[in-house]
Amino acid sequence: MRRVGIVGAGGISRTHADRWNQMPGVELAGFYDIIEDAAQRAVQRSGGKVFSSMNELFDAVDYVDVCTPGTAHMGPVVAALEAGLPTVCEKPLANSVADCEKIVEAAERTGTPLFVAMVVRFFPQFAKAREVLESGAIGSPGVIRTVRSGSYPDSSVGWRKGLAITSYYADFAQSGGVLLDLCIHDIDYQRWCFGEIERVFARGMMFAGKEPKDHALLTVRFSNGAVGHIEGSWSYPRGRFATRIEIAGTGGVIEWDSRTRPPVEVALEQEDGSLASSGSSPTAPQHDPYYAELAHFVRCVEAKEPFLVSPYDGLMAVKISRAAIESLEKGKAVTIR
Amino acid sequence: MSDIRIGMLSFAHMHAVSYLHFLSQMEGVAIAGIYDDDYDRGGRIAAQCKVPYFRRVDGLLDQDLDGVIICSENALHAPLVLESAGRVQGILCEKPIATTLEDGQAMIDRCRETNTKLQIAFPMRFAPPVIELKQQLDTGVLGEIYSVKTTNHGSMPGRWFVEHKLAGGGAVLDHTVHVIDLLRWFWDTEVEEVYAEVGHELLHPGLGIDDAGLLSFRLANGVFGTLDTSWSRPESYPTWGDVKLDVLGENGLISVDAFEQNLQVSSEDDGKTSWVNWGSSGDEGLVADFVDMIRADREPSVSGEDGQRALEVALAAYESSRRAEPVALPI
Repeated sequence: MRRVGIVGAGGISRTHADRWNQMPGVELAGFYDIIEDAAQRAVQRSGGKVFSSMNELFDAVDYVDVCTPGTAHMGPVVAALEAGLPTVCEKPLANSVADCEKIVEAAERTGTPLFVAMVVRFFPQFAKAREVLESGAIGSPGVIRTVRSGSYPDSSVGWRKGLAITSYYADFAQSGGVLLDLCIHDIDYQRWCFGEIERVFARGMMFAGKEPKDHALLTVRFSNGAVGHIEGSWSYPRGRFATRIEIAGTGGVIEWDSRTRPPVEVALEQEDGSLASSGSSPTAPQHDPYYAELAHFVRCVEAKEPFLVSPYDGLMAVKISRAAIESLEKGKAVTIR
Repeated sequence: MSDIRIGMLSFAHMHAVSYLHFLSQMEGVAIAGIYDDDYDRGGRIAAQCKVPYFRRVDGLLDQDLDGVIICSENALHAPLVLESAGRVQGILCEKPIATTLEDGQAMIDRCRETNTKLQIAFPMRFAPPVIELKQQLDTGVLGEIYSVKTTNHGSMPGRWFVEHKLAGGGAVLDHTVHVIDLLRWFWDTEVEEVYAEVGHELLHPGLGIDDAGLLSFRLANGVFGTLDTSWSRPESYPTWGDVKLDVLGENGLISVDAFEQNLQVSSEDDGKTSWVNWGSSGDEGLVADFVDMIRADREPSVSGEDGQRALEVALAAYESSRRAEPVALPI
């Protein structure tokens, strides 16, 4: 039995804790948070115990899962690596390139496994699209477009009520807005598909004074000459969250849209004569992307194999997100160094 | 815990490739070898998987197996099950169970006598959209169920599938059993009466076997419905076929398209646009369930009797079509 401890008891920690609790051979030891109340609530919800310090948690576990906000990744991640504990770090690896570099340096120096939880690589439709691309079915890479757009992640969702994280997102200096929080998924995914990114140009609302609303459109140029487009939004109407993939090559195109007809549709007539309709797209529990990424972490650590996402990949995604923010500020294309 | 040792008996049915793929990803499972009466096919797959190839069933059954998976031509299910029974703990037999009820019964009887677990390969029970439908139905959210409209369309598979002697029937036998098995499972009921219009060479002139089928049935729980079994998806169609179920009840409608989770891939090499499925394959759940049955030494979740009842509906459909009258079951 392997014991895992979660540092940071905010929103994503609940998602991770649920998956750890489902995983055979893994036990959730508990939570540490600088706000003890938050850790207490997480324990009531997900089990385990409240740790009163990070070191107490480190002493009790085999793995560490860092779910703090990106501004607070560096401390716990570096400490966990130095304690020799294989570590999961929620995305982004950190909010600044400098923090990311310190984390990557610590991972290299200690040789302790560090997995950056870029979960989009574990979504079955995103993974399958890359597999089709790699098979050569659409020829050489040309144009890749992805979309990740919804409404602002505020406390209208019941369990988020009262979490400090909801105001964190709206403070763009902290969260980096959609470019760092949301588009980082697509930056990482596109880089995974098409290779290194040479330069980026961004337009968006980050500095338009419309917080918490944000919206960004990015164009990127890859080292191999291919180009990419990313839309990320916290301005879509509520309930209209959408993701899209479009990958075009010399010999074809791959398309997927989250808003196509779902495999299961339920339409029920209510007592008052109105219609209640809902759709779902179920997959097997082991293919849930959050479960799959954490199971991948455990499997690779046990087998001493490299992760699908390296610390360097985590660093590059932040570097490119930061370059996009710089592009927005300066109104110029920014070359990635 | 020692590995569960599985032998693959024949790759005549292409589902074997998928079963092998998921088995090979599972921990604690060893593929002990492959038997196939087609030396080229069996030898090639065995070489790809780096497992021994056996020209005789007996040779593979001697390899201290826990289970076998039989994906031969339909008519050869019976001899392979009869030969394997008593020499392994569990048998996973591709659907339909057999081409005749006599063969199916002999398989069930021999497995019972030898204390061998016989599971029929109905992977749709393990497809997440279908599981979701089953869970919705179990909550009773639809109220009284009125009717179910279903399709299991396919592409014309060719090869032995269109030879009556080996397949036992065409589109109607091939595609009746999956959906009928689901309906029996949803409501723990049986088909009471079936009427069928079977089409011969309607879509594929010169085929020599039925290639279209419309079944109209009534279940013992009062639900009526239809099933389209036709091989009506041409080469140019974006995918091989479908499994769709529309369940109508007093409170509303639940529609399931079990193979809807697709990327759309347009490839110049293929010269067409295809749907590439990214959903969770029912085959993965099916083989995991089979291995678990052996490991836990429990009864199969889909039994030989389930296979037999589904086969009976297909055979009754042919009989109905010959007589142009509804046929009562059991026959």
